[in-house]
Amino acid sequence: MLLAAEHVKKTYHLGRVSVPVLRDASISVREGEWVTIVGSSGSGKSTLLHLLGGLDRADKDSGPVLFAGEDLRKFDARRENRYRNHDVGFVFQFYHLLPELTVLENAMLPALVGLSRWRWYSTRSALRARAAELLATCGLSHRLEHRPAELSGGERQRVAITRALINKPRVLLADEPTGNLDIHTGSGILDLLAERHREGLTTVMVTHDAAVAARAQRQVRIVDGCVV
Amino acid sequence: MYAPLLTNRYLTSRIIPLIAAGAVTLCVALVIVVVSVMTGFLDMVRGSGKTLIGDVVVSRSISGIPYYEEFIRDVEALPQAEAASPIVETFGLMQMPYGTGDGGSQIETVQVWGIDPASLDRVADYHSKLYWTKPSPELAKTLAPDDPRLDPMYQRDAEGLALKTRDGQPGLVLGIEISPFNRRTADGTYRTEGDFGTQDAGHFMPNTSGATLTLVPVSDRGSLGGEKKRRFAIVNELQSGVYQIDAQRVLAPLDVVQEMLRLDKAPIVSPTEVDDNGRPKVIGESPARATTIVIKAKPGVSAIALRDAVEVAYKDFALRVASDPSRKVKVPLRAIVATWEERLADLIGPVEKERELMRTLFSIVYVVCAALVLAIFWAIVQEKTRDIGILRAVGASRKGVLWIFLRYGMMIGVVGSALGVLLAWAIISRINDIHAMLGTPAALWLKILAWSAVAGAVAMTVRGARRASALQTVLWLFGTLGLAGVATALLFHRGFLIWDPSVYYFSRIPSEMDWVTAGTTVIGGIIFSIVGASIPAAHAADTDPVQSLRYE
Repeated sequence: MLLAAEHVKKTYHLGRVSVPVLRDASISVREGEWVTIVGSSGSGKSTLLHLLGGLDRADKDSGPVLFAGEDLRKFDARRENRYRNHDVGFVFQFYHLLPELTVLENAMLPALVGLSRWRWYSTRSALRARAAELLATCGLSHRLEHRPAELSGGERQRVAITRALINKPRVLLADEPTGNLDIHTGSGILDLLAERHREGLTTVMVTHDAAVAARAQRQVRIVDGCVV
Repeated sequence: MYAPLLTNRYLTSRIIPLIAAGAVTLCVALVIVVVSVMTGFLDMVRGSGKTLIGDVVVSRSISGIPYYEEFIRDVEALPQAEAASPIVETFGLMQMPYGTGDGGSQIETVQVWGIDPASLDRVADYHSKLYWTKPSPELAKTLAPDDPRLDPMYQRDAEGLALKTRDGQPGLVLGIEISPFNRRTADGTYRTEGDFGTQDAGHFMPNTSGATLTLVPVSDRGSLGGEKKRRFAIVNELQSGVYQIDAQRVLAPLDVVQEMLRLDKAPIVSPTEVDDNGRPKVIGESPARATTIVIKAKPGVSAIALRDAVEVAYKDFALRVASDPSRKVKVPLRAIVATWEERLADLIGPVEKERELMRTLFSIVYVVCAALVLAIFWAIVQEKTRDIGILRAVGASRKGVLWIFLRYGMMIGVVGSALGVLLAWAIISRINDIHAMLGTPAALWLKILAWSAVAGAVAMTVRGARRASALQTVLWLFGTLGLAGVATALLFHRGFLIWDPSVYYFSRIPSEMDWVTAGTTVIGGIIFSIVGASIPAAHAADTDPVQSLRYE
C-alpha cells in the first residue's frame, strides 16, 4: 500500500464552535492506482485529501496517515516539507499559480523549493528543459514566458499539473481539478491525468461529479465525514 | 533558490514596495538633513567660538597673573605648546563716534581685550579675523563694485595688525556688529551703511574721528578705582563670524589696557620709609599683569594634553616665584586652566544639547518608518496569503517563507535608505541655493509652467469623468488640487528666509553632509525596515497552508 488513512478524524475549531469534518475515514491506495474520492459538498473529501498530502494534520486521537509505511504524524518539519515537495504533487481546483512568475517558473517552483542554491546552479539547465518538455506535452510550449493572468482556465490547470509533476512525485493529489472548467476543457485535463496514470502515476482525485469520478479505477465515497 | 526569485518579482512587479521604499527614503533623508545641518551648525559654532582663544586658556581675573612674560616663556618651552599670548580682559563702555540722532552719543557696553597683536596672531591667526583687509583676487571678484574694501584708501590691515594709527597712536579694533551701521544683509554678508567713496566716510568704520573707551580698574578686594577714559582711533573691525563676539569685542593694545586698569608695571613703595626727597621709598617693582594667557598647541597635540602640561607648568611657575625672595609679588597658586571647549561650554553646550534633542526627536522618525513598513508589509502579507499557502503546499519551509519577506523588507530598507542618502546629499549640498530660491519671488516661467500643469490636470480630470473612470477622475482631481496649491503659492510667493544670520550667528546654512550620521541612519533604516517586515513575515511563516489556500 502506497498511501493510506486509517480511521482518521479531523475537527475544525471556529472560535468556541467545533466542527467535526472527518469522523472516521479510512482509505488505502495502491501504487499505480487511480482512486477518486466522491461526496457531496462539505462531506470532508478535500479535508481527507489535505491530510493525505500532509497539508493538514489530523486530530490527536485520530488514526494514522501512512505513506509507504511511514506515519505522517511522526514527520519532523524537514521531512514534512520534503514529503510535500517530493513525494506528492498537488493540483487544486483554482490552480493556485503564483501571479508574479511566468508559466515556466511556476512549473519549476517545487524544484526551486527543493534545491539549494548550489544544486540549482548545477541543474538549472536540465530542470528548465524538463519543465519545458512537460509543458510542451501539455500543449503549452508557446506560453512559457507568459504570466498566469494571460492564460485560460484550462491552460492554467495544465501548468498546475506540470508543477505537480516536476519533481516526479509518487502520488498526484488532485482536488476538483475540473471543477472550475467547462466540460470540454475539463475533459482535456482528465485525459492528461489519465495519460500520466497510464505512465504509472498513482493518482487520488477529489470530485463531486459522477462523470469525472467514472474515469478512475476505483471510487471511495464520503458521507458526513465517514467513508462508506 | 525560490526566495531570491520571489523577492525580486515581488519588488519589481508591484507598486506597494515602491511606496514602502519611498517612505523609508523620506524618513532617512529627513533624519540625515536635520542632523547634518545641526552637526554642521555645532561645528561652525565650535570652529568660530574658538576664535582668538587658541587651544588652552589660562585665566586669573581681576588681579591677573604677574610675571606673565616668564610664564609664557615656560609655556613656549613645553613640547606640547607652539605659542602663547597675553590678554587683559575687562568690560567697558564705548562712546561711538556718532550720535543717536537726539543729540546724545551712541554708547555701547563692550568686552575689552588688551592684546599683543603679534603673539596673538601666532596663537589664533588674528589677522584673518580683520575685516578691512586688502581682499584676495578671489574675494575681490565676489565683492560688489561699491564695496569699500576695494577702495585702496580704506585698506587698513597693517593698522589693524599693529593696533596703531599710521602716525603711531594706539587704535582700537571693534567687533563688526558693535556699530549698528554695519548690517548683515539678507544674503548674510556685512554691508556698511552710508555713503562711501568720494564723500565723507560718515558712519563707516574704521573711523579716524575715534571713539572713547571707558574702563574701570578693580582692585584685588573688589573695590572700584576711578574710571579711566581715553579716546582712540578705530583702526579696523573684527569679523569672527560669531555674533556674540562680533557684537561685543573691542581689541586694544595690551599696554594701554594694562595702564587703564592699573595692571601695568609700577613701583612698590614702603608705607613707612621715605627716600632722600621725602617721598615714599621704592622697595621694589610690581610687574605688569595679564588676566588671560591663550596658548596654541603644536600640531597633533590635543587641547587636553596641552591643558594638563600647562597646569603643571603653571604650578611650577607659581612655586618658583614664591620661593624667590627677590620677587615682591607672588603669583596666585591657582588659576583656571581650561581647554577652549571647556571655556566655551556655555556657548557650545546649548547647541550640543539642541542637536541631541533634534537627534532624539527625529529618531522617532525611525519608529514611524518601522510602523510604516510594518503596515505596508502587513498589507503585502495579507495580499500574499494565498501565495504563502501555495509555497507551503509545494514544500517550502517556514524559514523559507520567513526569509522571503525578510529579504523583501531588507531590500526595501537598503534601496530606501540608499535613495534617502542620495536625496539628503542633494538637499544638503544645495541647501543654500534652495534657501536663496525661497528667498526670492518665483520666476515667471515657473509660474507659467505650474499653471500649465494645472490646466493639464484639469483636462485629465474631465477626460477621466467623461470616460466614467472613478479612479482616474479621483487621482487627477487630487493632482489638480495639489498642483493648483503649488501654482497659487508660487503666484503669491514674495520670498522668505528661514535662516536668519543675525539669529543663527552664521551667514550660510551648514551644507556639509554628516557621513557618520548618514551611515548610522542607513543602518537604522535597514534595521527598522527588517523589524517592520519581521512581524508580518513571522505571521506569514506560521500561516497554516490549508488556511492560506482557502484565503479569499
